[in-house]
Amino acid sequence: MSADATAPAVATSKPSLLSVALTFAAISSTAFGGGQKASIRHQVTSKGWMDNEVFMDGLELAQVLPGPNILNLAIYCGQRARGVAGAIAAFLGASVPPFIIVVIAGALYFKYASNPYVHGALRGCAVGALGLTLGNALELSWDERGDWVRIALLIVTALAVSIFKMPLLLTLVLFGGIGIANEYRRSRKKPEKPVQP
Amino acid sequence: MNATVSTVLHILWTFSQLSVLGFGGGKGIIPQMHRDAVVTYQWITSDQFAQFYTIGKLVPGPTTVFAALIGYAAMPGRPWLGAAAATIGMFVPSSVIMVVVDVFWERFSASPWRAIVSHGLAPAIVGLVWSSVWTISRGTASGLVAYAITLVVTVLMLRTKLSAPLLIAASGAVGIFALR
Repeated sequence: MSADATAPAVATSKPSLLSVALTFAAISSTAFGGGQKASIRHQVTSKGWMDNEVFMDGLELAQVLPGPNILNLAIYCGQRARGVAGAIAAFLGASVPPFIIVVIAGALYFKYASNPYVHGALRGCAVGALGLTLGNALELSWDERGDWVRIALLIVTALAVSIFKMPLLLTLVLFGGIGIANEYRRSRKKPEKPVQP
Repeated sequence: MNATVSTVLHILWTFSQLSVLGFGGGKGIIPQMHRDAVVTYQWITSDQFAQFYTIGKLVPGPTTVFAALIGYAAMPGRPWLGAAAATIGMFVPSSVIMVVVDVFWERFSASPWRAIVSHGLAPAIVGLVWSSVWTISRGTASGLVAYAITLVVTVLMLRTKLSAPLLIAASGAVGIFALR
């Protein structure tokens, strides 16, 4: 559908708080991984809460700040639509359904985990999830291949955390700090070409 | 202070710290979460951690909602309370930051610092993801079948568009027969 980028800037409509909460509840209880971002984008732009440009700006902010990208993005959209009350409605919609689903899954886990078939299935699922995480690590590392400083930083971070048990705060301050300094230096060198992922 | 209140406060404090440090969508917090929940407080075992993480990937919504399961296990007498405390700790602090920064966002939306910070943090986050692989692997099955499943899922994830829950469920199906 051509609604996204080409639609004229319609007068943004103000949804009710309930509709904000229900919109994100519907997405958070059915969508997985990257599909959630696409769903949120479709919902908020087709309902006229904001245009695509405002959405993309929020997506960037949601990814820069700590917290799950989807939850941050939902909060941003809720806040743009209805202010802080909208942000709270979006937060509840985006977090309560996954919370309930995961706790029900947990209750079943504690009831049935000792059954040998369930036990086997769980062990199988866990090695599958390990594979996904490994794939994710490889994918993200491939994106860093252009700069040896970044590759070195990545390796040192992995070793410091895995082997020397470096705490998360120190890791982010030290290696994150070095990464930011390196990025700053690069951006000063090539002012005509802004940093891009 | 009774034991229940004390445990709730420990859960809130532990997950709140992880919440504000959850850069990169929370991908980097797994090793520290493991250290807190398995080593420091001994709420759960390494095997349970790997399985809870897996459940987090299986259910819709953010993966880090599996913090609820750690809280659930930490309070056997009041599992829902533990789960709620962990989820509040995990989600509320980062959300408050999001709301507050958004209020000031337009003021520095043109600032080059945005890109410098997010791009500059990336190598450390990727290193933490590698460390997560290490952390999770300590609680997963070993042996040829397990390694084979992991490898196949890795390749399928990188080379096909098969969804994460589907790949995990298929691994579980193999596990029923091979990893019992």
